[in-house]
Amino acid sequence: MSGSLDSYLILSGLLFAIGTFGFLGRRNAISMLMSIELMLNAVNLTIIAFGAFVKPLNVHASVIALIVIAVAAAEATVGLAIVMAIYRNKKTPLVDEYDSMSE
Amino acid sequence: MTALLPLIPILPLGGFVLTGLLGRRYPEDAHRIAVWAVVAAWVVASIVAVMALLHASPFGTAGAGITLWTWIPANGFSHGFNADIGLFVDPLTACLLIVVTTIGMLVHVYSIGYMAHDPGRWRFFAYLNLFMFSMLVLILADNFLLVFAGWELVGLCSYLLIGFWYPRRSAAVAAKKAFLVNRVGDMGFALGIMAVWTQLGTLNMQAVFARFGSVPHEWQIAIALLIFCGAVGKSAQFPLHVWLPDAMEGPTPVSALIHAATMVNAGVYLVARCNPIFGAAPEVMVVVAAIGIFTAILAASIAFTQTDIKRVLAYSTLSQLGYMFASLGVGAWTAAIFHLMSHGFFKGLLFLDSGSVIHSVDGEQEMRKMGGLARKIPITYATMLVGSIAIAGVPPLAGFFSKDEILGGAFKNGFLWVWAIGFVVAGMTAFYMFRLMGMTFWGPSHVDAEVEHHIHESPRSMTGPLIVLAIPAAVLGLVIGFPPETGLLHQWLAPVFEGTIAASGHAEAAYNFFGIDGALAIATTALVAVAIVVAWRLFGVEIPSLGLRAQPRPDQVREISARRGLAALYNGSFHKWWFDDINNKLFVEWGGKLAAAAFWFDRTIIDGTVNGVGTVTAGAGGWLRRVQTGRVQNYALGIAVGLIVIAAGYLYLAIR
Amino acid sequence: MPIGQTLPFTAVRWDDVLFVVLAIMLLGSALLVVTMRDIIRCGLAMIASFASLAGIYVLLGNPLIAATQVLVYIGAISILVLFAIMLTQTKNAPTRLVFQTQAWVGAIAAVAIAAIIAGTVLTTTWPSTGAVAWTATSDIATMLFSQYVLPFEAVSVLLTAAVVGGVLLARREPPAGKEDRS
Repeated sequence: MSGSLDSYLILSGLLFAIGTFGFLGRRNAISMLMSIELMLNAVNLTIIAFGAFVKPLNVHASVIALIVIAVAAAEATVGLAIVMAIYRNKKTPLVDEYDSMSE
Repeated sequence: MTALLPLIPILPLGGFVLTGLLGRRYPEDAHRIAVWAVVAAWVVASIVAVMALLHASPFGTAGAGITLWTWIPANGFSHGFNADIGLFVDPLTACLLIVVTTIGMLVHVYSIGYMAHDPGRWRFFAYLNLFMFSMLVLILADNFLLVFAGWELVGLCSYLLIGFWYPRRSAAVAAKKAFLVNRVGDMGFALGIMAVWTQLGTLNMQAVFARFGSVPHEWQIAIALLIFCGAVGKSAQFPLHVWLPDAMEGPTPVSALIHAATMVNAGVYLVARCNPIFGAAPEVMVVVAAIGIFTAILAASIAFTQTDIKRVLAYSTLSQLGYMFASLGVGAWTAAIFHLMSHGFFKGLLFLDSGSVIHSVDGEQEMRKMGGLARKIPITYATMLVGSIAIAGVPPLAGFFSKDEILGGAFKNGFLWVWAIGFVVAGMTAFYMFRLMGMTFWGPSHVDAEVEHHIHESPRSMTGPLIVLAIPAAVLGLVIGFPPETGLLHQWLAPVFEGTIAASGHAEAAYNFFGIDGALAIATTALVAVAIVVAWRLFGVEIPSLGLRAQPRPDQVREISARRGLAALYNGSFHKWWFDDINNKLFVEWGGKLAAAAFWFDRTIIDGTVNGVGTVTAGAGGWLRRVQTGRVQNYALGIAVGLIVIAAGYLYLAIR
Repeated sequence: MPIGQTLPFTAVRWDDVLFVVLAIMLLGSALLVVTMRDIIRCGLAMIASFASLAGIYVLLGNPLIAATQVLVYIGAISILVLFAIMLTQTKNAPTRLVFQTQAWVGAIAAVAIAAIIAGTVLTTTWPSTGAVAWTATSDIATMLFSQYVLPFEAVSVLLTAAVVGGVLLARREPPAGKEDRS
């Protein structure tokens, strides 16, 4: 099992699905951001898995994964800063209330 | 010379504009511009008419015209359409010009006195001038479209003038009725004009007449019928005759001018002008004759029992117009124009006289409340007597010559039934006219007591035109119609009708006094004499100069009209043969229901559908609006669903 | 004593055991992240999932990425998230609903996504070598600073921008009167 690419890919797919459910289902904005991090990690796992099992992609995968991690960090920073700014305005972290763009 | 032509209609038009703009501020002088405009127009028209009748240059025998400008320049299409403002004068036009301008001028002068106390007289003179303009445009036009424009304008003026006293409801209703019934005829006329254009590509009348033979025969019949339809409406023939008696709601000068002497002649003029069209369709000529003579006897029968003096004259007008159309229908073209001219004069005279009578008894129009006026209003009485003798057809006055030519033409051209009915109507005409004279002027006075003191003769501005009109009523026949069939009028009008007469094969034989013509004339005169005598016996007579004096016999009149068979006829005649009731039932009631149903359909189904589309759209929009919640997670769900659909699709395709 | 390829007394290989254990840890903590009521506990579960993911990276022969994962994700991002949670807490947060109304639909969508991915993975023949290849850190370094130097620099700019932007966005509005203190 650990020697097959498929199992790692299915594992990452499951992680991605869990992240999707969390993103679509939770009410707290920070929970949504945590789910996004899970999804990004699932993608990272896919990349590394490919790098491990497909010889020509080996080093490239690692570099790409590094860059993804850096970008994820930047995105988390800005996202959380935004959430805090909104929280200051709306006094609540629940995305139900962030609907001033609605009809 | 042709440069004078535009002046004839423009003078009354200028009068209309000036009187309309300035009349309200100067009410006492409102008539001056109008009357002088018409007098000037009469002078110019007389010059032109005389030149045209004498076939002098530039008119010659075929007439001449002048094109003022191009009204509708639409020549670029494959079926080019070009309509000009053009005027054309030939001997036929000249006859009409004489009638229209002379009677118009005299009526204008008469109205100075008649409308002296009316506060709206500036409006009256403005409308009268507008009417003169329209009628002159109608007569002088050289293409069908301009004729139609004049046609509609005289209809409009008729509406304005009939409803002149618009606060009175009956007047407003009568004006509306006249306009609507006219409209029915006008629609036929418009269709005829369109048919002419599609067949011949031009609306210029002389051009149409020259090429009319090239039109297929069914189209010739159709065009002739449609044009006749317009004439039926304007000249109040059956079945569109119902508007003319109600038109008597207007002031008497209006009745005299429009509904006796000019507007109702427009139909006769149109048919006479289009004689090549009608000559090419002999079937339609039979229809014309039939409708004409039927109207004649219908109207004469109604005139027997009417008691409003103006109504009797209105029905008399209908009857005489019927004569004119019958004459056109049997092919006696010149006789019709002769009767048109003489009728214009003596009917105008009779109407103005009746206006004078009404004026003298303070506005009373019921003949049962008149009587014995002969000695009190002598000038009016004398002129009315002249007019009655003329219309009855007693020689040697104008009516005798013109009516006799019509009946002779009918007999000789083979229309025996037209002759027979016309013969009877001649007698009926004499009877009801002298009934009118008896009830109004002779016998004991039934006038209301308080009116009786101040029965007075009319002012000179009113009696002047009466005397002037009595002269042509008396002598016109002798001047232009004698000797019969070769007199001046025939010489003048021969070039206009010769083509049609030659084509129809009825050569106008020479008048033979000691042959058939003389026999017919004597027969007619005998019947007329009998009718006059019967009328005198029943309704009284008093002509001191002739030594005639008899009292009316009201009990005999009652007894005769109560006899069983005659009572039904009396009823029918009194109710105008129920035509108004039929029209009311058919068009007002049932038409109203149809209109209500159509309104319901339009409002509920059509509007409902359109509104329904709007409502559905708005509802759908309102429902779809709820997708925009403003929440990111809802939108992200949408993205996820879309992603699933696409990916599943691809997976399915890859696995298959 | 060297550790053999398989567990003692069994024919099960160490790698498989580790893989299963780590996978269960990963998925379990991920589920806890998305379903727990208390957000702080969600954050802690997230840390656990990051840790198990680092272990999986080691299994895949990539210790550098594993170390980076621990350093960046657990060491920086998780702390950041926890700070944000602390700064945006409301009094009555635990007593309210956890899930949205649309969570059911979201769950179905998630299951569908998982199914599609699994289907795709299983029906495709990957050009896999069948054995895990060990990645040398020196190779990564060489690649990073020669072929990928442009993305490297871009990422550093991005991080700078992110830092500046984050500070700017999250800054408290200065009270009036103290604006022009530069």
